[in-house]
Amino acid sequence: MIHLLLQAPSESTGQNALMTSAPVTPADFWLPEGASTFAPQVDFAFQFVAWISYFFFVLVVGLMIFFAIKYRQKGREAYARGPSHHTMLELGWTIIPTILCVFMFWFGFRGFIDLRTPPQNSYQIDLTAQKWAFNFRYPTGAASADQNLYIPVGRPVKLVMRSEDVLHAAFIPAFRVKHDIVPGRYSTLWFQTDHVTEGWNDSDPLKQKFHHFFCAEYCGKGHSGMYAKIFVLPQADFDLWLEKQGRWMDDLKGDELWQVAGPKLFGRCASCHSLNGSAGTGPSWQGLWARASGGAGSDGKLDNGRETYTSLIGPGKKFENPESYVRNSILNPGDHIVVPYGNVMPTFRGQLNDLAIDAIIGMMKNLDKFDAKGKYIGGAPIAAK
Amino acid sequence: MTTSSHTGHAQSTDNYLTFTRGIKSWMFTLDHKRIGVMYLVSVLASFFVGGLFALIVRTKLLTPGEVSWIDADQYNQAFTLHGAIMVFLVIIPSIPGALGNFVLPIMLGAKDVAFPRLNLFSYYLWVTGAFLSVYALLAGGFDTGWTFYTPYSTTTETAGVIPVVMGVFVLGFSSIFTGLNFVVTIHKLRPPGMTWFRMPLLLWALYATALIQVLATPVLGITLLLLIIERAFGIGIFDPGMGGDPVLFQHFFWFYSHPAVYIMILPGMGIISEIIAVHSHRQIFGYKYVAFSSIAIAIFSFLVWGHHMFTSGQSELMNVVFSFITFSVAIPSAIKVFNWLATLYKGAIVLNTAMLYGLAFMFLFTIGGLTGLPLGTLNVDIHLHDTYFVVAHFHYVMMGSALIAMVGGIHHWWPKMFGVMFSEFWGRIGCTLVFVGFNVTFFTQFMLGSQGMPRRYYMYQPEFQTYHVISTMGAYCMALGFFVTAAYLLHSLFFGKKAPANPWGGRSLEWQCTSPPPHDNFSTTPSVGNPYDFSDVRWNEAEQGYEIDPNAVPSKDTH
Repeated sequence: MIHLLLQAPSESTGQNALMTSAPVTPADFWLPEGASTFAPQVDFAFQFVAWISYFFFVLVVGLMIFFAIKYRQKGREAYARGPSHHTMLELGWTIIPTILCVFMFWFGFRGFIDLRTPPQNSYQIDLTAQKWAFNFRYPTGAASADQNLYIPVGRPVKLVMRSEDVLHAAFIPAFRVKHDIVPGRYSTLWFQTDHVTEGWNDSDPLKQKFHHFFCAEYCGKGHSGMYAKIFVLPQADFDLWLEKQGRWMDDLKGDELWQVAGPKLFGRCASCHSLNGSAGTGPSWQGLWARASGGAGSDGKLDNGRETYTSLIGPGKKFENPESYVRNSILNPGDHIVVPYGNVMPTFRGQLNDLAIDAIIGMMKNLDKFDAKGKYIGGAPIAAK
Repeated sequence: MTTSSHTGHAQSTDNYLTFTRGIKSWMFTLDHKRIGVMYLVSVLASFFVGGLFALIVRTKLLTPGEVSWIDADQYNQAFTLHGAIMVFLVIIPSIPGALGNFVLPIMLGAKDVAFPRLNLFSYYLWVTGAFLSVYALLAGGFDTGWTFYTPYSTTTETAGVIPVVMGVFVLGFSSIFTGLNFVVTIHKLRPPGMTWFRMPLLLWALYATALIQVLATPVLGITLLLLIIERAFGIGIFDPGMGGDPVLFQHFFWFYSHPAVYIMILPGMGIISEIIAVHSHRQIFGYKYVAFSSIAIAIFSFLVWGHHMFTSGQSELMNVVFSFITFSVAIPSAIKVFNWLATLYKGAIVLNTAMLYGLAFMFLFTIGGLTGLPLGTLNVDIHLHDTYFVVAHFHYVMMGSALIAMVGGIHHWWPKMFGVMFSEFWGRIGCTLVFVGFNVTFFTQFMLGSQGMPRRYYMYQPEFQTYHVISTMGAYCMALGFFVTAAYLLHSLFFGKKAPANPWGGRSLEWQCTSPPPHDNFSTTPSVGNPYDFSDVRWNEAEQGYEIDPNAVPSKDTH
């Protein structure tokens, strides 16, 4: 029976529901604004349970206060006569809650089946979660360069999710969806929204509207920073955006590569590496280039003190030049661990191409032209995104 | 025969506190009352430490961003310690270990539990578990969350994971032995006349609890051993990299930890049944319904663990089945609340400190229970899972209900345990501060959660700050309430008025021996009647306490 229900998506989820169905549910005392097609269903079930709860809360607490006042002990009265049982009453308060519970279960069950049944025509986006970032990859092979999730409006979207390390969970409050991302298996999550987030391409971030994408399963130090924004785009804009993701670095000329691409790529590094010398989960980038190229700090310890930067990098050594060392540290992070940090960095093999690594190296070489948050503050004007 | 014991003149130096002297007489005691008192002191000390960690967590959450005095790693350790201490060292052993040990044999009319040596051993296992936890803290701490979810717990770099898991393993056996002791005591040591349906409802609740302790806790033990084996020896059980399955750990863990929720709340419900009936001076309403609902809860508790895993990736069919069964637990819980409510009807209600805690429990448990309903409703739970809504819900049940019942029980039996009366004036102030503080702290967290604030977050979106600030202020208020409570209780130990044998007018057997009870509880086998038939209880002005009129005609009240 479950199987049959699983194969029958509700009418609100089909492709013919485009743009017309399911208005956004407004924010209220309890719930935030709902933006997905099943938000109304979830909100209805929530409100149904809530009103039952208000009723019983007022009933129980109201009677409790009333009795406590009306039947106060008089003097030192040690014995009060009251009924010891009442069969009809007891049956009543067993049966009525049972019936209400069946309704609650039913609304939850119906909504849940819709929630877990992606339509056949869903647009698939692959999500790889790792400590502590979400990486979105689109059917064209392009990845979302700024780590945020861009989706087309009015179209069912299915996330196929996997984890590189520990449990994570994808949670979108505005869409009323959540699912754990379990290492060793694929998990799926789907949703559809019929409303564009306004100002998504506004250059002023304050004018951008977006939905939150949280990690909801505890995953360690950076758990609370494991976050993405969701932008909902009109289909045409989405197509343009997607095309750009595949080749956005190709158009950058000369120094623009590290000036423009560097800060965007650094967003993924920032949860562990600082630019101002403060220690994070990994070493700060400040002074890194000097250390790697034989300057100040090049006697810093690597590999539990067995190696230093100087002993590894230089003509005739393992790494001919600092660029090779940085490149290897991004692709094979466990090779040479900087003392006293742990072996926790995931590999970026397959996620960063040569151009991206060039941009990161360029940024490291010119760190004085960036502020502590990775914003480019060098004088030269930069071409638009 | 019972009259001689509550005349007050009989109160000599020969009570369990003064029966023998010296530190050794406590350390090696087999007296259930002394073991209960030792549990009480230990549990309250742990509660203080766990509370400090809660205040650290709440203080950090005043601001959404990073703060200089605590970093993300330290914050993660703080909430992990708060959870682990409160669950394993405080709430699970609190009522059975401290109050249960003290009152269960006396209520039953027995001289001690069935296995006094095993009882002392349980206590020392608790102490061992506590020391292992402290060692884990000193060895490098642990940041796994109290749930120890794999593969995070098998891969995190904090060095204290194995010691604390060993500690919880040992604490589990402390719990099992206590449960075993109670089951055998209730089956075998009932005096003549003490039939099952003459047992006070606290004993039914402790019996149901003991069944869960004995049957569910071994599963936790096995799970924790498997976790240690994987972490220490790299044998793949839960880690998918080694062919394991992390969801399997969640099944094992919740197969214990859901019943454990009822290990925490059932004894609290038992205490509330006593408090409500005694301080209303009236027959409990629907005795058999309340008694059987305890057993029903114990049975259902084994069948609903999957509702902790609606988003985990277990099959949709299992989610649906677990959701359905979960709602069935709501029914016996609701029955209990309605029966307590009906007990108030036409009572003679005294709003003293113990009763205020009893009414606070009803208020808080109603909210805790009702907010369980949206979490059992499948599609709503998907939204609320792993948010502050869940945090608020289980604090209403585990703290607002289980711990508040514990505090209420401490006040109810304080005169019996230590032979002194505490200040009712300060008692009511303390209760009010705790009650108001608790609601301010945790009701705001329902809003935080339903609006999408995930739990276990060091930093958060600025839009949530107002609620977090209010919640933290509530926590400070609650802390103040507990300090007031600690102060007047300690004060009463030294300066409190001498307590009569029966200060509240209770009818169960513990009120028929002196306060504090003698070493052997009863000099002669007590006569057993209906524990809720108050018809022969009288006020004795000279003693400022109640007594049982031996000439009273037994009431026709039956169950």
